[in-house]
Amino acid sequence: MTDPRPGRRFTIEEKEAPAPGVDALRGAYTYEPAQISRPLDEVEAADEGELAAAIAPPRKRRWGLFLMLAASLGLGTLEAGQTLYAATLGGDWLAGAWSAVGLLALGLGGKAVLGELWRLRKLRRHARLRQRIDETWVQEDDTTTGADAMTLADALRGQMGLSRSHPHWQSFEQAHEAHHTATETRELIVHHLLLPRDRAARQLITRMAGETAVMVAVSPLTLVDMSLMAWRNIAMLDRIAGLYGLELGYASRLRLFRDVLRNMVFAGASEIVSDAGMDLLSMNLAAKLSTRAGQGLGAGLLTARLGLRAMRTIRPIAFRAEEQPRLSDLRQEIWQQLRQVDEASQTR
Amino acid sequence: MRRQLSHEIQNLLDRGRDRQLRLAVTGLSRAGKTAFLTSLVNQLRHAGIDARLDLMKAARESRLLGAQRLSQPDLGVPRFPYDEAMQALATTPPHWPEPTRGISELRLQLRYRSARSRGPFGDKGTLTLDLIDYPGEWLLDLPLLAHDFLSWSQAQFAAMGDERRRFAADWLQALSEHDASDSVDESRLASLSERYASTLRQAREAGFSHLQPGRFLLPGELQGAPVLQFFPLPGLDESDRERLAALPGDSLYQTLASRFRYYQQHVVKPFYREHFRRFDRQIVLVDVLGALNAGPERFEDLSLALSTLMRSFDYGKRSLLNRLFAPRIDRLAIAATKADHVTPDQHANLTTLLETLLAEPLRDLRYADVPVRAFSLAAIRATEAREVAHDGRQQPALRGHDLEGAPLLIYPGDVPRRVPDAAFWQRQGFTFTAFRPPQSDAVALPHIRMDAAMEWLMGDKLR
Repeated sequence: MTDPRPGRRFTIEEKEAPAPGVDALRGAYTYEPAQISRPLDEVEAADEGELAAAIAPPRKRRWGLFLMLAASLGLGTLEAGQTLYAATLGGDWLAGAWSAVGLLALGLGGKAVLGELWRLRKLRRHARLRQRIDETWVQEDDTTTGADAMTLADALRGQMGLSRSHPHWQSFEQAHEAHHTATETRELIVHHLLLPRDRAARQLITRMAGETAVMVAVSPLTLVDMSLMAWRNIAMLDRIAGLYGLELGYASRLRLFRDVLRNMVFAGASEIVSDAGMDLLSMNLAAKLSTRAGQGLGAGLLTARLGLRAMRTIRPIAFRAEEQPRLSDLRQEIWQQLRQVDEASQTR
Repeated sequence: MRRQLSHEIQNLLDRGRDRQLRLAVTGLSRAGKTAFLTSLVNQLRHAGIDARLDLMKAARESRLLGAQRLSQPDLGVPRFPYDEAMQALATTPPHWPEPTRGISELRLQLRYRSARSRGPFGDKGTLTLDLIDYPGEWLLDLPLLAHDFLSWSQAQFAAMGDERRRFAADWLQALSEHDASDSVDESRLASLSERYASTLRQAREAGFSHLQPGRFLLPGELQGAPVLQFFPLPGLDESDRERLAALPGDSLYQTLASRFRYYQQHVVKPFYREHFRRFDRQIVLVDVLGALNAGPERFEDLSLALSTLMRSFDYGKRSLLNRLFAPRIDRLAIAATKADHVTPDQHANLTTLLETLLAEPLRDLRYADVPVRAFSLAAIRATEAREVAHDGRQQPALRGHDLEGAPLLIYPGDVPRRVPDAAFWQRQGFTFTAFRPPQSDAVALPHIRMDAAMEWLMGDKLR
């Protein structure tokens, strides 16, 4: 144990350590106006990408799996090639044929994998383009010139898989003029390129949702219901993506489906409340008809909601708040379809 | 009598159903009001056939069926000379329509298919559009209503810059012989007024716009009447008010003041009451390029003229009641006209510059929560945007004809985003060339962004 420190007396003259801050006060100083100065560094806002990365689920790169796949494909090809070579030299035709079959299988597998990767890349490019359009076109200030907007429009055309001679693109080109600003170009492209596809997508969703509702209402087995719904929903997603010029492979479909589901799960509370309230009401109404009709309507509405979400996720130019298709528009039509089935069953 | 009554009732019904719009086309002289109105009528007449109105929703969705000219409500006012204007554009060589010398009116009825097909009145809708054309000079009289003679005199001299004073030197010299309390005979008064009017005319020639009273520039039927024989007096002060008021009736001050009052009451007020109070929508046309050409003092002058002017209109939200009895402007467009005189890449700058020019009134409008949008437009497009290879790069350029008819291919110059300082005008200045209108045949007039302006001004009524 150390002794307590003895008392100590300070003399007045002793230099006192300055209180922090007092010394920091600097007097005014005039610089020469001609002296070179530079603007202050702005505090950079948090990077958008970082923010998105923080919110999004952690992204796992399955390098091991990837490596294994590539290695087995490569080694397999090598092995089969060698065997084929040896077989042709040795005259062992059976072994040769087998290795040729193996080569073919490997080739097909490789092609499938490459195709998957290609489609995934396309989906990613789609998302990037959509983001770029969002950033440059949706904001109100017209700093982007018409020429930039036109390059973007052309990229969009390519992404949607339309040729230059497609009538929709032609009518857009006719309507577009050099002096149109980015916002105006967006308006025109939405009208000429996207609205026909939106309409088709909506029709598709209504039809699919109605059919799902009827199918679930009449199907006798719950298990069958569930698989039916899953199958139909995936088919619907495929076709909506096809409408907007996106071809889905297995992996890209999975990714898109996950995105759509995530969007659905994290949809704003107010939206869910307004939608779900009406949903419950109409399901109650339908349940008055019969329990099965209620279930059918529920399933149909789920499909419709999934379809609308998919539409919102896939559409190359995001909807504005007032343009968004709403579930309430579809509800009536689904209900009509169910009613028809019910009436048909009553009369029989 | 009965016809008039039924007319009134129809009007009231239309207004109640919100099927009638009075559009105020505001702009000082040479801002392009007549061209705008001509083009507006032309586009609407050709809508759905060959007019390119892609930025107008109803036209894009081919719901707009067209428009027809109706007989106007006020039979005492001449009809807007649409045919004459079109004639001017169709002659060889074409020339711009004559500047407006008097007031005129036009009523258009638009027919459209409603987007919601189930309406109480079927799926065809109509919208009546009332348009008024008038000389821009007269418009500047509206702010006069907020003044009396003394404050008006003060405001006039306060607004005079150096250059304006040079024009006025002669008149001020002549005026200095008289004092406010002198009695001045009629012929002397007339000659002084004539000199004042001539300073106004000179200033207008030099490109100034804030010139009051407007009838001095364009007297119309009042030519030579004593009501147009007055002028502001220099050196008046607010503290003199009582002394001046006590002057005898035949003193210079009192004579001028009474004539000023008469001018207010019998010239400006009826004009304002009959034509300017009941507007639903407004578009303010500004010739920004002309002001840039003219120089810094005139640019300031234009800004001041526009901001005093816009105080004469009622802005605010509309409801059923004030739609019927006290209409207000609930949506406003401001437009830099003659956008075809610069290349498309300069349009954004033109719009920004317009917003700085109108910064003061825009703040008030923002406060009143009236939606405003700025456009750069060309009602009748006189040029064609091209690209030229120059110095190994692609440069934008315009092709058209100058006023004499010689073909031109030029790059007119950049438009600044902000008002440049006076030194810039000294150093370089702006020379935006004037172009001749295109030869018009039976098809719709070419334009820049007329469709966007129309969508903003009446698109919400065509749903």
